[in-house]
Amino acid sequence: MILLRLISWPYFRRHVLRSILTIAGIVLGVAVFVGMHTANQSVLYAFSRTVDRIAGKTELQVTAGETGFAEEVLERVQSASTVRVAVPVVEAVADTRQRGIGSLLVLGVDMTGDRSLRDYDLESGDEAIVDDPLTFIAQPDSIIVSRALADRLDLGAGSGLPLLTAEGEKRFTIRGVMKASGLASAFGGNLAIMDVYAAQKMFGRGRTFDRIDLALKSGRTIAEAQAELGALLGPGFQIDPPAGRGQQFEAILAAYSMMVDISSLFALFIGMFIIYNSFSIAVTERRAEIGILRALGATRRQIRWLFLGESAVTGLAGSLLGLGFGLLVARLIAASIGVLISDVYGVARQADEIATNPALLAAALAIGLATSVAAALIPARSAARVDPVQALQKGRHQVLSAGESRARIGVAAACGALSLACLAAPRMAPAWVGGSRAIFYLGYLLAILVALLLSPLLSLMLARALRPLLKRLRPVEGALAADSLIQAPRRTSASVAALMLSLALVVAFGGMARASYDSIIDWLETALNPDLFVMPSQNIVVRTIRFPPGMGPEIAAIDGVERVQMVRDARIVFRQTPVMVVAVEIDSLEQTARRDPVEGDAASMYRLTAAGEGLMVSDNLAQLQGLKIGELLEIPAPYGVIRLPIVGIVVDYSDQQGTILMDRQVFRKYWQDDSVNVFRVYVRRGASAAGVRQRIVERFAGERQVFVMTNAELKAYILRVTDQWFGLTSVQIAVAVLVAILGIVNTLTVSIIDRRRELGVLKAVGALRGQIRRTIWIEALSIGGIGLALGFALGAVNLHYLLQMIRYDIAGMRLDYTFPVNVALGLVPAILAAALVAAIWPAESAVRRSLVEALEYE
Amino acid sequence: MNDTARMRPARTGTRRRRKGACAVLGMLVVSSWGGLFQARPGAQARDPRQIVEEAQKRTDAASQRYEGLLQVFDARGRIADKRWTFERLGSYGRSKAVLRFTSPAEVKGVALLIVNHPDRASDQWMWTPAVERDRRIALQDRSTRFFGTDFSFEDLEARDVGQYDYRMLGDDEVGAAACWKIESTPRESKSSQYTRSIVWIRKDTYAVARVESYVGGEAVRRLDYSDFVQAQGIWTARRLEMADLRRGSRTRLTLDQLEYNAPMSDDAFTLQAIRRPVR
Repeated sequence: MILLRLISWPYFRRHVLRSILTIAGIVLGVAVFVGMHTANQSVLYAFSRTVDRIAGKTELQVTAGETGFAEEVLERVQSASTVRVAVPVVEAVADTRQRGIGSLLVLGVDMTGDRSLRDYDLESGDEAIVDDPLTFIAQPDSIIVSRALADRLDLGAGSGLPLLTAEGEKRFTIRGVMKASGLASAFGGNLAIMDVYAAQKMFGRGRTFDRIDLALKSGRTIAEAQAELGALLGPGFQIDPPAGRGQQFEAILAAYSMMVDISSLFALFIGMFIIYNSFSIAVTERRAEIGILRALGATRRQIRWLFLGESAVTGLAGSLLGLGFGLLVARLIAASIGVLISDVYGVARQADEIATNPALLAAALAIGLATSVAAALIPARSAARVDPVQALQKGRHQVLSAGESRARIGVAAACGALSLACLAAPRMAPAWVGGSRAIFYLGYLLAILVALLLSPLLSLMLARALRPLLKRLRPVEGALAADSLIQAPRRTSASVAALMLSLALVVAFGGMARASYDSIIDWLETALNPDLFVMPSQNIVVRTIRFPPGMGPEIAAIDGVERVQMVRDARIVFRQTPVMVVAVEIDSLEQTARRDPVEGDAASMYRLTAAGEGLMVSDNLAQLQGLKIGELLEIPAPYGVIRLPIVGIVVDYSDQQGTILMDRQVFRKYWQDDSVNVFRVYVRRGASAAGVRQRIVERFAGERQVFVMTNAELKAYILRVTDQWFGLTSVQIAVAVLVAILGIVNTLTVSIIDRRRELGVLKAVGALRGQIRRTIWIEALSIGGIGLALGFALGAVNLHYLLQMIRYDIAGMRLDYTFPVNVALGLVPAILAAALVAAIWPAESAVRRSLVEALEYE
Repeated sequence: MNDTARMRPARTGTRRRRKGACAVLGMLVVSSWGGLFQARPGAQARDPRQIVEEAQKRTDAASQRYEGLLQVFDARGRIADKRWTFERLGSYGRSKAVLRFTSPAEVKGVALLIVNHPDRASDQWMWTPAVERDRRIALQDRSTRFFGTDFSFEDLEARDVGQYDYRMLGDDEVGAAACWKIESTPRESKSSQYTRSIVWIRKDTYAVARVESYVGGEAVRRLDYSDFVQAQGIWTARRLEMADLRRGSRTRLTLDQLEYNAPMSDDAFTLQAIRRPVR
């Protein structure tokens, strides 16, 4: 502690900027970790809180996935001996068409019994109006809104509120305003309550409910009720506490969460290398100080602990700053995740506040601290080994990076061999270690470890390879810069390793994005080929508003329409996972689809599915759940269990968790639901799609809410959403550039300190300031170039692993391996420019350094 | 005394007395307390069941019709008015009733169909014309307030005397009228939201004068009857006032155009019938 105060503190005070750079490494790692996880958790928390607030005193909820079920189920639930009160609910997302307001979550409830479960906490002035459920339910335009929404819209009780419904834009009358707490604060306050039967009508639900919320009789347990209701309703229903919906939402977001985890892990690794580099600077710069301490009797152990103590303090400070910074950026990231989730998953959930999880913050603090200490272990050991005699000799410096140890190469070779073995034999793993996936991830980690272990050696080899080129370009400066890199490969390798990791992540994400684009575009071309799509919402993934089937023939009768296909899609729970069911007229689809199955015979696949004798599943579902052609699927539905074989596996990206395609007749039979989400419209040859679109809009104007998208618009929409999903890549690129700047500044600082005598001699023998500058610049560019080369190499490997993860663990997508050349080409100028920027300050520092001081010994 | 009351003399009795009528809204609340009275009129009957049975017997009619004005006074004294027409076919546990709102405009046409049963709770459906939907009022919801009034849906039911046990608590007065004070407890505790009720039956007419309903030990609702008239020989309170003792609000129902034993068809008491538009 005394050493920290007497030795370390004055050093920090003398080198404020350097200290900030040191801390920046850990701040970056912790901030990315905290920011991304907090944002992700905030969105999940916002969803759970919305569920909780809406649930009120609900103890169990009866659902059938997203499909809803017939009203009669309510009476069956109410008749259960364990149930005290059971109330129906319809949920819909409705657009307000108000700038800055967005969508409302409309909760359709039966006011008669619902107040047993939910407290609407109405403002006193509205009590008389809404306490009278008669007025409320007699008028289908009745709506209750939250105080927050009323304030945002500057509306009050009695005011009109336009909403887009299945029947077009309808003007609702606000008959109550809920106080801004509890239920009213769900969904960020964008919540409206209306009568459940009016909601059915307004949102095209027919005589179905989305779910039933229930409370139990006193003395009865949740397990008892689940057992009784399970027996009463059959396997097609889920009977879970409200928290179960949060878990389903979490499952839907699993893919995104996994990407966040990967990014966070890389950020921490990168932070570790920046710290390593920073401590290397400190050890180099304070060699004389260490020599004096050793001469005065300080033991090696004390020196080691001094540096480890400094790293702990640095880690603590960096982690604390990282926590704060992470929480700040979490808000921005959460907002973008909210938009993404709304667009990709059709679940509009905005994180209205950041959920600070103490466990996460504590973990981040501990990880930051541990990373910092771990990163300082090698520099601390080096410091402890400083020879006091050499250190006190002016003009002599100890070459810390004395070359690669054979042990390191040996370990790297062993890890490499093991990694290759894991790659070659992924299925040999015993079950107790998690089966083939554990082996796969072990192989992945080993591959990264090999790259890290070999980075000093590879940096050296590349620097040697660069030397002739640099010398040819700039005989003096080029040779000096290359020699500097060759003489101290470990000094360079930390920056290179950080850069390499960062670029490897960017390359892998870029490659995955490219492959996904190609695959999605291919799917769009072959499967989504109708000319027009008629939908009840602008958002193609919103399934809470539906059309009646009678609209199909009406659209078909419009001039210029050749064919109409009715599509009903909804998420259901299949083998404890939310997957998408897509019900369509398969015989018609066969006439228009141009896609070949991944497995199965095209002709029999369509024939059997159309006849209701089989099901088609998406390739991603087959991959994720290990489904095979011919396998008998059991799908529990509200009106029985579907038992049909898989007759075809096709590429379909309707849902990240997978899709089951069936004929509409099968869906109608087992769900008793003939509503439609989308009409796929094919235009007659010679007819104008724009003209048909206009006629469809005019046909339903004022009658129904109809959005007609052209094929090109739909594709653009899907690609835009895909863009959002891969927006993470741009964050990674920003981190990579930051890493490049930080790492290279640090490396060059070390380099200049190490070479101050050499630089002094150069100046003494007549080297111009410009030459010194260019030497440093070339060194920086070389580091950037080496980092790019190694980053691309590791990125190529990383991409392979990421595609495997996507295929088997995240989305089940079979993506082709294509190195993202365009991403790589974009990174070259970005990183080299960053390197050059990073070299400015160290170069000026080298130029201004005192010649007398540098040559004092001479 | 109105014209209807003058049409028919008192049915029985050696000394002149007014006959009791406990029909409330035709069947609201107190009809539960009606009953067959085996003893001679005016007798000092002390058996509570016999008193209740007599009260029910005296209000027995083949049908009932009236127009009601419902006034809800909230805790601040504000009033909200609604009007309805009420028709009932049959009596007590074997009756059907349709209650149809006529004003204000926003609730006009909303109808409630009640089918009473002698041995269990009634079935109730509501029709909302603007939504074009009927909905069943679930048994679990019967304890909730009836359309913002201080009555509950259960209070609309007509139950037979046999569904309760009775205990004489003694004599009491409501206003200036001497009454029997009788405690009634539902035989199946889960069939009612109330654990017990105390009913005051006037000794002179066997009309129910007050009902106080309890949940546990707490009195939650009190219904007072006043402005008695004899309509076609049946003593009927023209004004009923229900107080929600927990909320501090009260609802007053005033009966008008009261008519008993008018011809009515069974077809008028079906779901199809209540869906018909109001003229």
